Amino acid sequence: MALENPLLPHIATITKVIDETPDVKTFQMVFDDPGVFDVFKQKPGQVAQISIFGVGEATISITSSPTRKGMLEFSIKKVGRLTSVIHQMEPGMKVGIRGPYGNHFPYEMMKGKDLLFIGGGIGLAPLRSLIDFVLAPENRQDYGKVEILYGARSSADLCFKYDLFDNWPRQPDTKVYVTIDRPEEGWDGHVGFVPAYLEELNPNPQNKVTITCGPPIMIKFVLQALEKMGYSEDQVVTTLELKMKCGIGKCGRCNIGSKFVCVDGPVFTLRELKKLPPEF
Amino acid sequence: MRKGYILKESFKTWLGAIKEKFPLIAPVQDDGLTLFKEVEKVDDIVLDYGITRMPPKDLFFPQTEKMFRIKNKNNVAIELESPEKVTDELVLFGVHSCDLKSILALDPVFTTRFPDRYYQERRDKTYVIGLSCTKALPTCFCTAYGINPTDADGADVHLTELGDKYLVEVVTERGEKLAAAIPGIIFEDTTNLEAEKAKLTEKVKGEIKFIDLTGVKEVLDENFELPLWEKWAQKCLGCGICTYVCPTCHCFDINDFNRGDGVGERFRCWDSCMFSDFTRMAGGHNPRPTKKERVRNRFMHKLKYHLDRYNIVGCVGCGRCVQRCPENIDIRAIISDIKGGV
Repeated sequence: MALENPLLPHIATITKVIDETPDVKTFQMVFDDPGVFDVFKQKPGQVAQISIFGVGEATISITSSPTRKGMLEFSIKKVGRLTSVIHQMEPGMKVGIRGPYGNHFPYEMMKGKDLLFIGGGIGLAPLRSLIDFVLAPENRQDYGKVEILYGARSSADLCFKYDLFDNWPRQPDTKVYVTIDRPEEGWDGHVGFVPAYLEELNPNPQNKVTITCGPPIMIKFVLQALEKMGYSEDQVVTTLELKMKCGIGKCGRCNIGSKFVCVDGPVFTLRELKKLPPEF
Repeated sequence: MRKGYILKESFKTWLGAIKEKFPLIAPVQDDGLTLFKEVEKVDDIVLDYGITRMPPKDLFFPQTEKMFRIKNKNNVAIELESPEKVTDELVLFGVHSCDLKSILALDPVFTTRFPDRYYQERRDKTYVIGLSCTKALPTCFCTAYGINPTDADGADVHLTELGDKYLVEVVTERGEKLAAAIPGIIFEDTTNLEAEKAKLTEKVKGEIKFIDLTGVKEVLDENFELPLWEKWAQKCLGCGICTYVCPTCHCFDINDFNRGDGVGERFRCWDSCMFSDFTRMAGGHNPRPTKKERVRNRFMHKLKYHLDRYNIVGCVGCGRCVQRCPENIDIRAIISDIKGGV
């Protein structure tokens, strides 16, 4: 029997590059073999391994919703060796993609609920896969009110401005709250950190699920704030980022206790998170 | 399980017949070390060794292995070429019970949920012949994990040297296939030999200091923070030798080699949770920033995590890490600390 090789990437072509911030770009990619889309079938919140051949691989969350067919989007912050190289890449260039990996946001459990997304910086990238999934016309009626609270260091550091200020606010029953860390000339929006803005908005936990992702320090204070507001541990969902290499539960580095984040995560409810040792 | 025996006087002939048919990997002396290597002549095989310097895991999971060849023309044209499928069967001979168990402990990592082609192909093509220990070393402690030094668990065919015969236990279907391919096993009543084997088991067990693991898992289940981790981390150099000689450690790194013109390969190589780089993310955050977290992770993996995840031991008591640690960090002493409330 011929074994498939999960560590062998599919070749894909970059079809579009969007400058989001000074250090974040969104890459739209298409598999060279269109048949791969039929087997790839990602769910919101899953991740993939992006290859630049001769440089290496990095784990990146899939930021596009599975409801957008025929392409994948990855928003990538320039932080290391591989991400610096990919930031120089242009449409037409080839990369490798393997995946999708990990569990996904519990979008079935969220049906009938109001949703509150809380993101910081590049942390909005994984949330966006679920936001666009929920807002897609074929799914919108399954979910209640959608609120998105998002913050970045400065207005220039806001990712997905076209979604934040245009696409999302135009959707029915959808509200977007944006904040930046420090006051800025020409900015008449909210100023302050995400957890503080959250406490200010004080959203009622009734029939609501929150989904949060951002820098570890933001997540920590957001979780504290949500508990203070009366959210139960099952109403709070987050997605973690750890260093990964294989993505398939073998190479050993993304474990938190007995769990491998690449296969058992990256999505955890606060209840699940509290059962894990604090090593992430 | 079918049982039989091979007369000692015809044993080398039997091994020779294996070698005629298959590449034969067995413990041999290599520059003063006992290592599993491909055998040139059956006389080179060391039958009475204590423990090999390295475990046999590299047969299925090599220290470095090419995953595929890359031809990358300026990121515009990419060609990937996978290595040839492993088609040749081979025989791994002379594996002691601890190492046999370690293969069973690695199998679920590599062969379940996203089966690893590289491991699985080699594993499927290998006949494993176990060999009972006839003596123990001061560092042996397999019995702590319920392993007897004569256990056949993990072997396709298992041998035990008893007087002028080797008791042969044909354990698996694959073992039957091997027994059919290589004549020489006399399938007659082995009641007496089995009684002899039981005596040998007791003799070797008697040479092993029993480590009682009662309660250890429970303490680790309940306590992530224990002062003992800091104590042992202070000794640890972070050299990682414990993970390289460990038969159940399976961590690896994946890297690309590019010779400069876009031609190169992607390879994986053994890695170690004892290194700070292992978990440090590109942005600088490191969930296991100091040796304390890393030492804890390694021993928790051995005594708890692997067991939680795969329901099979993560340590087999081979004692290689005890032998090789430059700082005498001894998992048996750590177990004793866990039980003693340190």
